Amino acid sequence: MRTWGSVLILVVCALLLGGCWDRTEINDLAIITAAAVDKAEESEIVLSIQVFIPRAVGGPGLGGPTGSSERALTTILSAKGENIADAMSKVQSKLPRKIFWGHCKVYLFGEAVAKDGIAGHIDFLVRHPEPRNRAYLYVSKGKAGEHLGNNSLLERSTAEALRELASLHLGMAVTLIDFRNMLNGESRAVVLPYIEAGSKLEKPAQIQENTLLLGSAIFRKDKMIGVLSTKATRGLLWLRDEIIRASISVQIPAGQGRVSVMPIRGKTKLIPAIEDGKWSILVKIEAEGDIVENGTKLDMMEMSSNALVQKAVEDDVRSRIELALYHLQKELNADVTNFAAAFHRKYPQKWHEAKQNWDKIYPQIEVSTQIHITVRRPGLVTDSVGHPGSHDKRK
Amino acid sequence: MNRNARKWWRAHKQRVQQQAVPSHTPLHKELAENEQQLRALYDNCSDVVFRSFRIGGSTRALVVYIDGLTNTEELERNVLSVLMKTKMPKDSAIGKLLDNVVSVSQTNELATFEDCLESVANGFPTLLIDQQECALSFGLAKWEKRPVEEPMAEGVVRGPREGFTESIQVNMALIRRIIKTPALKMEQMQIGGYTKTKVVLAYIDGIVDMDLVTEARARLNRIDIDGVLESGYIEELIEDHPASPFPQILSTERPDVTCGNLLEGRIAIIVDGTPFVMIAPATLFSLLQSSEDYYQRSIVSSAIRWLRFLFTGISFLLPSLYVALITFHQEMVPTSLLISMAASREAVPFPALVEALLMEVTFEALREAGVRLPKQIGAAISIVGALVIGQASVQAGLVSAPMVIVVAITGIASFMIPHYIAGLAIRLLRIPMMFLAGSLGLLGIMLGIIVTVIHLSTIRSLGVPYLTPIGPMKFAEWKDTLVRAPWWMMNARPHLTGDYQKIRQGANQKPGPEKGGDPA
Repeated sequence: MRTWGSVLILVVCALLLGGCWDRTEINDLAIITAAAVDKAEESEIVLSIQVFIPRAVGGPGLGGPTGSSERALTTILSAKGENIADAMSKVQSKLPRKIFWGHCKVYLFGEAVAKDGIAGHIDFLVRHPEPRNRAYLYVSKGKAGEHLGNNSLLERSTAEALRELASLHLGMAVTLIDFRNMLNGESRAVVLPYIEAGSKLEKPAQIQENTLLLGSAIFRKDKMIGVLSTKATRGLLWLRDEIIRASISVQIPAGQGRVSVMPIRGKTKLIPAIEDGKWSILVKIEAEGDIVENGTKLDMMEMSSNALVQKAVEDDVRSRIELALYHLQKELNADVTNFAAAFHRKYPQKWHEAKQNWDKIYPQIEVSTQIHITVRRPGLVTDSVGHPGSHDKRK
Repeated sequence: MNRNARKWWRAHKQRVQQQAVPSHTPLHKELAENEQQLRALYDNCSDVVFRSFRIGGSTRALVVYIDGLTNTEELERNVLSVLMKTKMPKDSAIGKLLDNVVSVSQTNELATFEDCLESVANGFPTLLIDQQECALSFGLAKWEKRPVEEPMAEGVVRGPREGFTESIQVNMALIRRIIKTPALKMEQMQIGGYTKTKVVLAYIDGIVDMDLVTEARARLNRIDIDGVLESGYIEELIEDHPASPFPQILSTERPDVTCGNLLEGRIAIIVDGTPFVMIAPATLFSLLQSSEDYYQRSIVSSAIRWLRFLFTGISFLLPSLYVALITFHQEMVPTSLLISMAASREAVPFPALVEALLMEVTFEALREAGVRLPKQIGAAISIVGALVIGQASVQAGLVSAPMVIVVAITGIASFMIPHYIAGLAIRLLRIPMMFLAGSLGLLGIMLGIIVTVIHLSTIRSLGVPYLTPIGPMKFAEWKDTLVRAPWWMMNARPHLTGDYQKIRQGANQKPGPEKGGDPA
């Protein structure tokens, strides 16, 4: 009996002594929803964090104000430091609650910091156990911290708004783990979405326009070297085989108007070839789309007009791809399309030899495209609304 | 028990036996002598009636019975009045009286005082006649009993609505009415030094493994207790692992459940004075089954079983998961949910563990109070309960709204378990799980689950592993564990122990159009 008693006491002690040390009540956490890194004087940086204020959310009977639309849900704190960790401890000294990175889903980098290189900051984010690997990264034109000050009209915070923006797949959506993989990949080039904080507007109705997707920021190694426009970014998305949820509007000369097609699925294949020391790549795209708007006189139930639209869309996609490639190959020389990986897979031996000279090879690669777009559905109406045609029953 | 106590108990038992019965003392020839003995034994027993009369106006006779346990009308009409009018046969054969005069169907000849006392105690009027060494007992017992009603604790939507009562005769009859074969055996024994409670061990000969019966019989015979008021007494004295919180014997109020289990080769132990019949061996999964599973359509029953498994898990783990997530693993909660939880916890002064314990204990108290209170006050309890576990406590800032939801779901979940006792066991284990979660987080919960599973796989019920058919893998029996297969698929009986009759029904009984009644 006595032995069992002492064993029991030991077990209870072991549990209570072994546990609890890292216990943190949710009331003692400062939940960060977004963080921004900007350049300060000399080698210092400014870390701004958007901290969520739980009291502001409170519904009825929760001790908080009920009609809390006037109160901000988040607050911003910032501090200077040598790096993120240093700045974070300085921010911590201004906060009564423990900084909690576990729900930070958006990291913003100012353009100046991005041009200096962000590998060190990324290292903190992937090494520290709290930040999420699935958090989205953005590069901001100007000061990144300014974004955090803007209130989103629909979402609870800027962070939420930016996260939703990424999930819409209109531009690049790059998470921390993607960034790391790109940086460690064959081409050592990285692309991040590039945004701009709109000028600070007083009226809430205008605030929704505050964040503008400008395109994408191109990095060689971890240093930003240039920017792609939105149009070129779409081409880049096609090349990177990423989902695009933006409609493609094309001018159809035969129909005297525009037709918009929404891509619903697509597959891009990069087929590399090396012939006589000449490196080339074939971009093969198979995609499907639905017509969402028809401003022409054409009857989309006709196969002939369908073919016209398909052709026009194919040309549009091709021109975007060519635009993107022109910037990437000729101007920036950054292989964010990851042609390097394609060559590595198909020609491992030659890739190994050419690896050192990739910067010289990449701009010389000849890219040909083979695009096939299928327009599957003409939408819910058969005729163009403005031009009742052959399907009009009253005829 | 130390040695002194054991010695005292042995002496005490002897004393009791001497006092209670002049054991196996044969009856005297003289009626006066017998009457004196009996009156001495029933001294100060105001409910025992002694009625002296003369058979046919000459031979002295005495009827002894207990008021309230005997059908006095029948006794007067079929025994007293006819005996008074008839003449005592000269050859003094008591058998002739039975043959020709007394029109009572169930009679017994008794030779000893012990027998007489037993028959009187059971409500049988006992007739002693002068110059006879034999007494007669008539099966005219009758006392007030509850009619057969719908079981309180095990309701069904579809299925028989009969429930056992407190009377063992009625209960045995209810079973016999369902299983009519003579292979249904009901071994009777008496347990309890003072209560002399009738206990019946029922099984179906030919289906059950006889070793199981032998073991159960041996365990029942081992019991030496002064009174049995409910089958729970017996359960505690015959179960395999007395320290486990899990019930290793199933108890049911329903004759159909009892019969279903008998047909699967289990044994039933019926105890007089309680509507709860015990069934052994029981497994964890049998505690999660309801009789209605077998009456509903099999697809529906399977889905309900899954729902029950899910909610059993919820009632075991939900509060501890909540505590672990909110104190250690905030990153695992979706952001918007965490924000809502953080907002609602803002005003709460307690740590999550204390908050959870507070609510759980309050809930248990309300439940217990609701069970014990008279029905008229039950409504008051539910109103107070709704205030305590609900809006009022949230508004007062004592607990957070998500915690109220967690406790409410857990409460509902634990009532999903069809056997109340099993539900209690799981509800009890919830509390240590919450402490583990509050001190070690998800690691602690994992630890708790591991310990529980190890414990479950260690215990047995009458030799059958508790986690059958998953503990020892018996894939063929999953059809009546994880799902409820339709009856035409359940051709084999589940295997418990030893030898058993494996095939339970004819093969290939799946109905279909080609088997329809129309030969064309």
